[in-house]
Amino acid sequence: MNDIGSSTNSEVTLALTGVSKVFPGVVALDKVDFSLHSHEIVGLVGENGAGKSTLMKIMIGVSQPDEGTISRDGILISPKDPSDAIRHGIGMVFQEGTLVPNLSIMRNLFLCHEPGFQKLGFLSRRAMREAASRLMEEVKVSADVETSISDVSPAERQMVEIARLLWLSRLYGQKHPVLILDEPTTVLNDGERTILFDILRNIKKEASVILISHRLQEIVENTDRIVVLKDGKNVTELPSANARISEIEQLMVGHTFSADRYREDEQTPAGAEEVLRVENLGRRGAFEPISFVIRKGEIVSLVGLVGSGKEEVCRCINGLENADTGAVFLKGKKLLMGSPNGAVRAGVGHIPIDRRNDGLALGMSVAENVNLLVMNRLKVWGFVSPPRERKNAKVWVEECRIKTPSLGTMCANLSGGNQQKTVIAKWLSSKVSLLILDHPTRGVDVGAKEEIFRLIRKLAREGIAMLIMSDTLEEDIGLSNRMLIMKDGRFVKEMACPPGKKPGPRDIIDAIV
Amino acid sequence: MTEKKTAVAGEGPGTAAARRGRLRIPTLSYAVALLFLVGLVFSLGNGNFITGYNLSTIISYAVLLLLVGLGQMCAILVGGIDLSVGGVMSFVSVSFVIVVQVIGYWAYPLFILVGILVGYLNGILLTRIRIPSFIATLGTGGIFMSLAMIVAPVPVNVPTPKWGYLDIFNGTFLGISNVIFIGLLVFLLYFAILRFTAVGRNIYYVGSNIKMSWMSGINIARTRNFAFILSGTGAALAGIMVSAVQYGCNPYVGSSYILPSIAAVVVGGTALTGGTGGAFNTLFGALIMSVLQNGMNVVGVDQYFQQSILGMMIIVSVALTFDRSKTPVIK
Amino acid sequence: MTLEGGARKSVMVANGNVSGPLARAWRGLQKTGVAGQIVCLVIVMSIFAIGTRGKYLSWDNLQVILSLAGIPAILAIGVHQTIVLGGIDLSVEGVAGMCIVFVGLLLKNKLNTNDVGLWIVPVVMGAGGIAGFLNGLVITRLRIPSFISTLGLSWILAGIAVYINKATTVPLLDTQIQGIVNGSFLGIPFIALIALGLALLMQTVQDKTRFGGYVYAIGGDEQLAQQAGVRVNRIKIMVFVIAGVFYGLTALALCTQLGSAHPRTGSNILFPAITAVAVGGVALTGGIGGAKNAALGALIVTALNEGLVLMSVSPYVQQAVNGIVLIAAVALTIDRRKLGFIK
Repeated sequence: MNDIGSSTNSEVTLALTGVSKVFPGVVALDKVDFSLHSHEIVGLVGENGAGKSTLMKIMIGVSQPDEGTISRDGILISPKDPSDAIRHGIGMVFQEGTLVPNLSIMRNLFLCHEPGFQKLGFLSRRAMREAASRLMEEVKVSADVETSISDVSPAERQMVEIARLLWLSRLYGQKHPVLILDEPTTVLNDGERTILFDILRNIKKEASVILISHRLQEIVENTDRIVVLKDGKNVTELPSANARISEIEQLMVGHTFSADRYREDEQTPAGAEEVLRVENLGRRGAFEPISFVIRKGEIVSLVGLVGSGKEEVCRCINGLENADTGAVFLKGKKLLMGSPNGAVRAGVGHIPIDRRNDGLALGMSVAENVNLLVMNRLKVWGFVSPPRERKNAKVWVEECRIKTPSLGTMCANLSGGNQQKTVIAKWLSSKVSLLILDHPTRGVDVGAKEEIFRLIRKLAREGIAMLIMSDTLEEDIGLSNRMLIMKDGRFVKEMACPPGKKPGPRDIIDAIV
Repeated sequence: MTEKKTAVAGEGPGTAAARRGRLRIPTLSYAVALLFLVGLVFSLGNGNFITGYNLSTIISYAVLLLLVGLGQMCAILVGGIDLSVGGVMSFVSVSFVIVVQVIGYWAYPLFILVGILVGYLNGILLTRIRIPSFIATLGTGGIFMSLAMIVAPVPVNVPTPKWGYLDIFNGTFLGISNVIFIGLLVFLLYFAILRFTAVGRNIYYVGSNIKMSWMSGINIARTRNFAFILSGTGAALAGIMVSAVQYGCNPYVGSSYILPSIAAVVVGGTALTGGTGGAFNTLFGALIMSVLQNGMNVVGVDQYFQQSILGMMIIVSVALTFDRSKTPVIK
Repeated sequence: MTLEGGARKSVMVANGNVSGPLARAWRGLQKTGVAGQIVCLVIVMSIFAIGTRGKYLSWDNLQVILSLAGIPAILAIGVHQTIVLGGIDLSVEGVAGMCIVFVGLLLKNKLNTNDVGLWIVPVVMGAGGIAGFLNGLVITRLRIPSFISTLGLSWILAGIAVYINKATTVPLLDTQIQGIVNGSFLGIPFIALIALGLALLMQTVQDKTRFGGYVYAIGGDEQLAQQAGVRVNRIKIMVFVIAGVFYGLTALALCTQLGSAHPRTGSNILFPAITAVAVGGVALTGGIGGAKNAALGALIVTALNEGLVLMSVSPYVQQAVNGIVLIAAVALTIDRRKLGFIK
């Protein structure tokens, strides 16, 4: 480790050394070192799957490291769970929030730590109000402390969480609290963002902060030091003062770009026939009107950061959300907006990011899952025919190389990769003309990834148009024929990715950040 | 357990491996084994258990449970529950007794239609007004129970000259009671709907994973309405049968079938979480419940104590079949 | 979500601009948290006052309403806590039946020589509490939904109750408890005052103790509450125990009011109790509403039923009306955002 952090002239308050964590098939963290000084704000960056969230979970005791140590002010600790971590003064503000919505700000602040406010077994409302008001002043929240959390803005909720963590650290006598903020700015507008960072700078007098964000701009502007992770390993760390965004992006993406991994040689040029036409599709508050076309057998990547609006574009195309303006045409036929039923009938397939919960009936068999969309085609004399069911399932299980003991095996008993292939098989059997793949390789081990890439290539050869959002820029570049780049809800740039002449990650980084 | 939001959609492999251990429990074979066990115990315990008369009593009650249980099963398979079956049975049986005297055989289709409409009403309350089924059907059940009281505050009977209309249930064919044929017919109907029609299959998909079903383009409102229609129909058929075999009924009759109907479903191995189980499970569940009830009568177990045993069986069967991985929080 | 927020804001703005005694009174009413229920009660009472040409508002009739509302209110205060928790307790009738058997056995009666006098109060509270403990255990240990486990337990207890008692009616001779339950103070029935006292007690526990706060936290979001360090299972069991204690008191009041104990006395009390809780504005989704809501809900439902009686509507039609009121109240109070796909 290089000692750039010492420029802040303070001692190390939290140190993780040689931390490793292995999940079946995936090494999430590989001997990672991380240190945090008191009165310091550190930015933690890395692509999805780089190991940031695993590292955070280890710090707050949600998961335990397989190897390595955690030390706090020089003393070894091993937090068992988040409430244990907070006793060591380590607390995290989650993206989704951890405040109970129906309770007041005051009740949330002191939840489970009220004894100090008790008199004869009853809570003193006045004492609680006073303490809460003082805390709210510190984080500049003006709402009455008895407002319930569901009635305050996301920005104020975040402040309440920060205040709660600070208060708890003080309660446990921790002199150097550590606050971990996971993507705190995604729910904030510009003004709120400024306030948040003002407060964080103020808090620095007392605490240290670890900031996780996809917005490199704000990381560079508001932190003292930046730590970059890639593929579960330390890449480097650098002072924020003279860091350049493009430089960090490159460090995150790395240089290990291999063409054959994505079967680039199998990439086929787009056909002539237009499959999907999106015209002026827009949704207020999510993305501005956007138009594009996907042709037969073409793979199009939708690229952008979290909050760029790409997810919402896909949700509008497959009917999970209703757009405000514009229209979507599939093979010339206008889609009924806001109806998954309409989209599926027209031939739009969708492989969701959370396939376990949204893509499969886990308690049902592989065959039943594969046949879900084609029941009507398996009928004889108006009744679903079991032999036809078996036949259809068998064809697609073989086609997608799903490794399963039998067709009747329950999906919950398959591995992640085979579950993903089952979802793909389900859509393929229904003869989709457009397939939306939402992070198709998320949480899948290396071998299964290869299989999925092979399948994607095969589908393209068969003429299925695909819209992909993937985990890494590398995957986007490697797989797609064309990339559509979005930023802050706007379509900014289109880039062709012909085989052999793929653009490098740095060409794209400039456009997305 | 404590890491709700941190683990959602997070590192897939870890959680996948953790949950992969769960295997499909062969609930149907357990149900069959349980049936034989219960039957054996009672036949060894009391010589009167296996007599022609007693067997026909068992069958008759089993068919009744089967009719209302098949309906209840559809509501449970789709992920809900139907607590209105008692009220519907009461209402249908008293109204049937009165109406059959006036319009004769037409009363049969009329009250099946009533069952369909009531089921549709329950479905609408769930899918349009968006009230959880257990409370919506508790409400409609109460309403129909009081409608039954309004129709006939005291027990009503079919006068002897009109008994001919009830032969559908009370007659025999080839020496076998018609009740058995009716039970088989309804069983096959429900079995075929659930197994061989698209809408029946969708009941399983929706019960197993409703969000996935919605995202896959299944019309979930229609599927759930249909499941509750099947439930209402089952209750109506049971209501008709109760009146027919007893040549009359009292308005309270249905309230003693709410829990047995759920018991027949869950004891057969259909999980309260929805999506797993089926008509065969309910067939054996109904037989088990009937044999058990009858056996306890023959052996001389107090009638009220039997009720306690029923309650215990429900709790135990639900505990054994409930899929806890599906709901992070159980309320 | 945004729409609702906007609507709320505009209402607040409207209130801010309008001043004057009426607006101020309305704001004061809103602060109590039961404004809607009070308005509802006033509407129900005015309709019947007009319908019965004022007879409904006579002191005699109001006394009747208060004396009839007492027992449902005590019951509703018990049941509502389990709903605030996010579950439901359908075991009311079984638990009450069980407690009534104890009353029939131990209180001075015509069939045996026992006479425990006022000691019956802790006995029924204990019996109810033990039943509630069982409920809590089944829910937290076997991990099955409360609506089905409590329904099952209700049958178990009701069966045992009738089995012990052999379905006989036990005429009660005790006068102490009867004097309390049927007596009145300054014309106000004691039972109504007891219900009021219990409501205040429970509301104080909910507002002013850590336990109360944790119950709301669990009702709001069980997983988040657990994350914050709430001992969810322990709190759940405690809530069901307290609810059981209230059912015990209800059972005692019921049979002393009737002057006899029969295990089936409590066999039609669940439905009105849940209706009362829903009408009072306790959301079935949990986390919203308190003892004051439950008690007011019971008062509204009783006022409604008493009005129907006064207008000589058939009791069976009343039941049907209750069913409709239940569905309507649930439909209005339920928080659908929290349920996602409603099952």
